[in-house]
Amino acid sequence: MIRYGLILLTICLCSSLVLSTTYKFTHSRIEAQSINEEKDALDKVFIGATEFEQKTIEGKDYYLAKKGAKVLGYIIKVEARGYGGAIKMLVGFDFNGEIKGIKILSHSETPGLGAKINESRYGEDRPWFLKQFEGKNAKELELGKDVQAITAATISSRAVLEGVKKEVVDFLSKVK
Amino acid sequence: MIKKLFYEFKKGITVENPTFALVLGLCPTLAVSTTVVNAIGMGVAATFVLLGSNIFISALRNFIPDRIRIPCYIVIIATFVTINEMIMKAYFPALNRSLGIFVPLIVVNCIVLGRAEAFACKNSVLYSILDALGMGVGFTIALVIIASIREFLGNGTILGIPLVKGFEPVTMMVLAPGALFTIGILIGIMNFYHLKKKDKKEIKGLGCHGCK
Amino acid sequence: MDVSKFVMIFISMVFINNFILSKFLGLCSFIGVSKETRPAVSMGFAVMFVTTMSSIITWLIYRFILIPFNITYMRTISFILVIATFVQLVEMFIRKTSPHLYKFFGIYLPLITVNCAVLGVAVLNSEEFFINSKIVPGSFALSVVQGLFAGVGYCLAMLLMSGIRERLELVEVPRSFKDVPLAFVIASLMSLAFMGFSGFRF
Repeated sequence: MIRYGLILLTICLCSSLVLSTTYKFTHSRIEAQSINEEKDALDKVFIGATEFEQKTIEGKDYYLAKKGAKVLGYIIKVEARGYGGAIKMLVGFDFNGEIKGIKILSHSETPGLGAKINESRYGEDRPWFLKQFEGKNAKELELGKDVQAITAATISSRAVLEGVKKEVVDFLSKVK
Repeated sequence: MIKKLFYEFKKGITVENPTFALVLGLCPTLAVSTTVVNAIGMGVAATFVLLGSNIFISALRNFIPDRIRIPCYIVIIATFVTINEMIMKAYFPALNRSLGIFVPLIVVNCIVLGRAEAFACKNSVLYSILDALGMGVGFTIALVIIASIREFLGNGTILGIPLVKGFEPVTMMVLAPGALFTIGILIGIMNFYHLKKKDKKEIKGLGCHGCK
Repeated sequence: MDVSKFVMIFISMVFINNFILSKFLGLCSFIGVSKETRPAVSMGFAVMFVTTMSSIITWLIYRFILIPFNITYMRTISFILVIATFVQLVEMFIRKTSPHLYKFFGIYLPLITVNCAVLGVAVLNSEEFFINSKIVPGSFALSVVQGLFAGVGYCLAMLLMSGIRERLELVEVPRSFKDVPLAFVIASLMSLAFMGFSGFRF
């Protein structure tokens, strides 16, 4: 009986040794990867800004998008309620509420329908649905006028639009 | 000798294909076969785990007592799954995200434990390596076949490249029902051919039918 | 604590994100054991019990061992070992104490160790209710409820499937489609029906 225990113990010890070594070699890279991704996402939603400063307002995180010392606008995290669950996005906009870019961080919309909010056409780098928002003012966004909804996925399209509109307007009223 | 070596490798792809012939490890097969890229990623990850666990289990087969073999196998397999998880997180973060929960779930993939039980604990390291490679490749091929059918019918693309212009994709095929449907039909077709072969053999064996 | 959150988990786990029909977790046992209703339901209850209990245990391990020692990378290995040990213990306990219960689901218990639904729910809990290793409010209760309802969803799918398959035994079907292939096609149709639940909300 004790022999069995010892053998199992040896194997477990060896395995944890192997794992901790692998962890030691990979964890710095994993961390760098996630920091990179964040920076990459911020870069994409605010083209033109070079530095980002994290701040909090009323318990919510946001970023100041800066070029050198000059503040160009804000980036906030928006959570909208879509068809299949929460749609989490990053939204970049300037002081007037003009949208610079949107990036979807996670969503659980139906593949092939609602998931098209985050799909790029072949050969393009950004999802065409989100591209429609760029340059429009968040305060006056309207579905069908500024932004064309995705066929057969009106709920997802509206969720993104309403979420962005509400949060950006809320944020601008708070920050002033 | 060489023939036997080759057979150990080949059987995983053909007669003992884990997906089509043994119907093992279905959960990841169906869940990640929405695109060909995911399928290849999953196939390679599973092959890596299979290879690692097969090597170690066959090398330690005289050291591990029979009564506690299952917990030992689980520890070894889980170790390789975790290594695989960390490597994927570090070097292929996008793939890791799209495979999601199915990366840690390789640990309960019946193929890995099944090969440990059925093959690695009885055979030498060399054979176990070939067996793992064969099974891994067979699994990957099966995944890629299912994924190409689903990606083409459901999205009109293969590897993200649109193939036919003006083809309206059947969205259902990339959703859950499409996966179940595809595998059902594929296994059905396989059965059809197997049964046909068997019937032919029986008819020949009976003799009388040959006289007609 | 918000009750609506629990209701949402219930709807989501049983109908919208049903473990078998939309997430493909626990598919092997679903196809393997659903030929007759009685064993299918026994299996379903066994899974329900194990998912709930393992949600509790893995939550405790994640919260009090893995996070404080900063070894969350050991998640997979520790979860699977704990679940396997737990299942083994329960099997021994049932065999000793209640032969009746052992007959009801004891023989299905060992199968559950390698059922992806159990490990799946544990991994999902650790990802959803701990964000960046920080605990989410009500995390423990949510985990347990998620574990329980994942099991309920599994049980429901088993019950429906075994009912259909029992009747199929009496029907003449193409020989090559008998059993497994046909089971998949039926599962596909069921999953299509369950998709109607998505978009359901409170």
